[in-house]
Amino acid sequence: MAANKKDTAKTGGLFSRLFGGKKQGRSFMEEEQLQSPGRMMLQNFLHNKLGMTGLCVFLVVLLAVLIGPRFFILDLSYQDNTQMNVPPGYSLMSVPKELNGHVRDISPGTTFAVGIDDNGKVHVWGYTRITETINLANIPQEVKDATIVQVAAGYDHVTALDDQGNVYVWGNNRLNQDKLPREITDAMRKGENLNITQLDASFQFSAAVTESGDLYMWGNQNMADIKVKSAVDGHVKKVALTTYAYATLLDDGSVVYSGFQSNAISEIPESLSSGVVDIAATSSSVAAIKEDGSIVVWGGCARGEDQVPAFDGKPVELYGGRYHYTALLDTGEVVSWGDNFHGQGVVPASVQDEEIETVFAGFYQNYAVTAKGEIKTWGLKGYLCGTDDLGRDVLNRIINGGRVTMTVGAVSVIISLIIGIITGGLSGYFGGWVDMLIMRVSEVVGGLPFIPFAMILSAVMSTRISVSQRMYLIMVVLGVLSWPGTCRLIRAQIFSQREQEYVTAAKAIGVKELSIVFRHILPNVLSLVLVSATLAFATCMLTESTLSYLGFGIPLPTPTWGNMLTGANNSIVIQQYWWRWVFPALVFGICTICINLVGDALRDAVDPKSAER
Amino acid sequence: MIKYVFKRLGYMITVFFVVSFLMYCVYNLIPGDPAAQQLEEQKQKMTPEAYQAAYESLRETMGLDDPIVVRYARWMGLVSRPDGTISGLLEGNFGYSLFYKNDVAAVIPRSMTNTVMLNIFSTILALGITIPLGIYSAVHKKGKVDQVTQVVTIVGYSIPIYIVALLCIWLFAVNLRWFPVTGAKTPGSDYTGMKEFLDRLYYMCLPVIVMTLASLGGMTRYVRAAMIESLGMDCIRTARAKGLKEKVVIYSHAWRNALLPIITTIIGWFLGIFSGSVIIENTFGLNGMGALYYIGLTNQDYELALAIQMFYMVVSLVGTLITDLSYGLVDPRVHVDK
Repeated sequence: MAANKKDTAKTGGLFSRLFGGKKQGRSFMEEEQLQSPGRMMLQNFLHNKLGMTGLCVFLVVLLAVLIGPRFFILDLSYQDNTQMNVPPGYSLMSVPKELNGHVRDISPGTTFAVGIDDNGKVHVWGYTRITETINLANIPQEVKDATIVQVAAGYDHVTALDDQGNVYVWGNNRLNQDKLPREITDAMRKGENLNITQLDASFQFSAAVTESGDLYMWGNQNMADIKVKSAVDGHVKKVALTTYAYATLLDDGSVVYSGFQSNAISEIPESLSSGVVDIAATSSSVAAIKEDGSIVVWGGCARGEDQVPAFDGKPVELYGGRYHYTALLDTGEVVSWGDNFHGQGVVPASVQDEEIETVFAGFYQNYAVTAKGEIKTWGLKGYLCGTDDLGRDVLNRIINGGRVTMTVGAVSVIISLIIGIITGGLSGYFGGWVDMLIMRVSEVVGGLPFIPFAMILSAVMSTRISVSQRMYLIMVVLGVLSWPGTCRLIRAQIFSQREQEYVTAAKAIGVKELSIVFRHILPNVLSLVLVSATLAFATCMLTESTLSYLGFGIPLPTPTWGNMLTGANNSIVIQQYWWRWVFPALVFGICTICINLVGDALRDAVDPKSAER
Repeated sequence: MIKYVFKRLGYMITVFFVVSFLMYCVYNLIPGDPAAQQLEEQKQKMTPEAYQAAYESLRETMGLDDPIVVRYARWMGLVSRPDGTISGLLEGNFGYSLFYKNDVAAVIPRSMTNTVMLNIFSTILALGITIPLGIYSAVHKKGKVDQVTQVVTIVGYSIPIYIVALLCIWLFAVNLRWFPVTGAKTPGSDYTGMKEFLDRLYYMCLPVIVMTLASLGGMTRYVRAAMIESLGMDCIRTARAKGLKEKVVIYSHAWRNALLPIITTIIGWFLGIFSGSVIIENTFGLNGMGALYYIGLTNQDYELALAIQMFYMVVSLVGTLITDLSYGLVDPRVHVDK
């Protein structure tokens, strides 16, 4: 095997010659230059189209996985029950064309939005299939026939009001979302118009404020504090609904909490006892604009809801999303603040330049209607690869999971290489009882069924260690169990090398034995080690992902390409939530295929004989 | 040869004891106190002093304070237990499964038949496909079939088996509805005889297909490489030179030479399949050894897991032995005892 006699000392010169080195002219009398084995290997590899393609694709994936986490920051505790199982696509804010210039009202919901045009026709867009049976795009016929004037989207239901004062509810109605209060149903039956001025909806409940200052709330009472104290009857001007509570703005300009429980919302700041113009709520906080233009925020403000930026002008209208607020100023400008995870908390420049007439905001979406009637949007457009069962972005997890998977693969290959090289070197050079012992041990380790053994080690060890230590444990387990292959390869190579003249020469001039093994012989077999390391890298990644898939590898919520597929083996996920397994499986498959292609090409380059096969 | 076999057997037994001791130690790392566990129910009724006394006497009778070597020997069945009986692995006492509330020896056989059935079918199928395919692509090297096979097999051995399983479920079970998604038999069915067998076969179809597909890649490449190697031999040239038919050259001369490395791999591969079935059985909800092992580990039923681990170990040791011996049996030129 010519390849093994490669002269590693020339590798440096080889690279410099390859990249921009000068080609020296040769006269025809000169003998043609011979190629060094290393250069030949490189050329062989570069001419292998399949291998080069594999290398390029792998490098792209590697770069994405190494640099990606800087842009797709992983928050292990992140989960959002409003964004569960959203399919891939960027259609969450794609407003229908009919609405352009004819918007009467827009109410954004979790992953969808509802809007009405000037003719009172309802439009629904975004991801409307909340569950298998609930599809908010199935607008009831009576709603289609009526002229709708107001609409409000909750988590999984929509409430609408027509010009006759009739209230409609569709979507999820299993928890009394459509059980209207008796006053409203009575009025509807008698044909009276209660003159509802504000309609709002939140987590499984809805609210309506009438012109006469009465507040009606209905829906799921188990989760939210939606009872109304009779003291506020006849004085309510506006309500702001959080997920579990609400705040009321009265006609005397004060904000009160008219529910019965005490919570973060019920502790209303004293400064709000008079002079309040408008109120709005996020999922856990409420904000109020005072007459002097100052904004007061209270409640749960963990995501920066209370960090109101400074702005020129007086806010006139206030809207709350899930974790952010958007305010319309009297100058026609719009400001947003709060959480900016989906880009909803910062108004883009294109919107700031325009003169804005009205703003609609909710959850992660913002819609601004310009003076020309155009609709500008910012916030959550959608997810390239969809979201999983906890509302986490699949793309984010693929990129961060890839980093974990590749790190584990690389570290365990390095561990197994170190063990394999040392044991293989010792065993091959010294032979005798050292060889005997090492070979027996490697046979035992190599003979153990890999997956079951790794499972038991991980299961037993992980009972007493932390989550991050478990990751290191997996690396060590994989490395320690996969060295016998490398060991045998090196041993066989050294067997053939140790009879060569240069070893005899080294012995003759008195080089230490260990030095002969690791400094004289080993460099000559390194090319083969490189090949086996490449192939072992793919194997280690496969094993890690298999272990994680079975639940014995890297534990959730840390993503890896293996544990992202855990729980995907049922028909509902496979068919309906295909994006949850197709994308991780695709990326992982491409990655391992590429590594194997590179490994094969390397082997062909190192050992030209194998290419003839 | 016989001497060699005995030598190997002796070595095998040594390895068995060493590894099983290591395994026993690993399992003893698991935090937990069997004596305290057994007394847990009566703890409320007893005074602290009485509990302490009962606890210590129980530890005594269970022999928990003895050195680990002694406990290992008892568990293995080499030394008598504190109560004087000898009952261990070698006597057929594999322990007690806390999850199934039954002896491990009674739990295993049913699962074993499932696993063996699954593996036999998939192995036969895989061999039936890979060997002809490998031979064909070796004979028609660089042909179209060969190039396609090369690409497909790389894809085959690069993709983890559970992704193959997901794809197959998606295609065959969810879209085409040919096979059920998971399970070992029709729920609620009470078939007997032939009908039961056919029902089980029906449920086993998809796992068998997946296992076969997953093992195609590596094996096809191996057969192809071995075949190309042997087609380049001098004896093949001689055979062609004397005017033998191409079929005879390939199947009689080349294939027999290629068989040597293949047969040994097949034996090793047969045994390696047991670890692959952990994933398959869990994905498809089949009650086999792999699923049993998984249950044992996830439910802290460590005696069950330990027993199955021992089974895996014995399988792999026997596999190594057979592989080594088969070198000598298949190839008369190899003298294994040298």
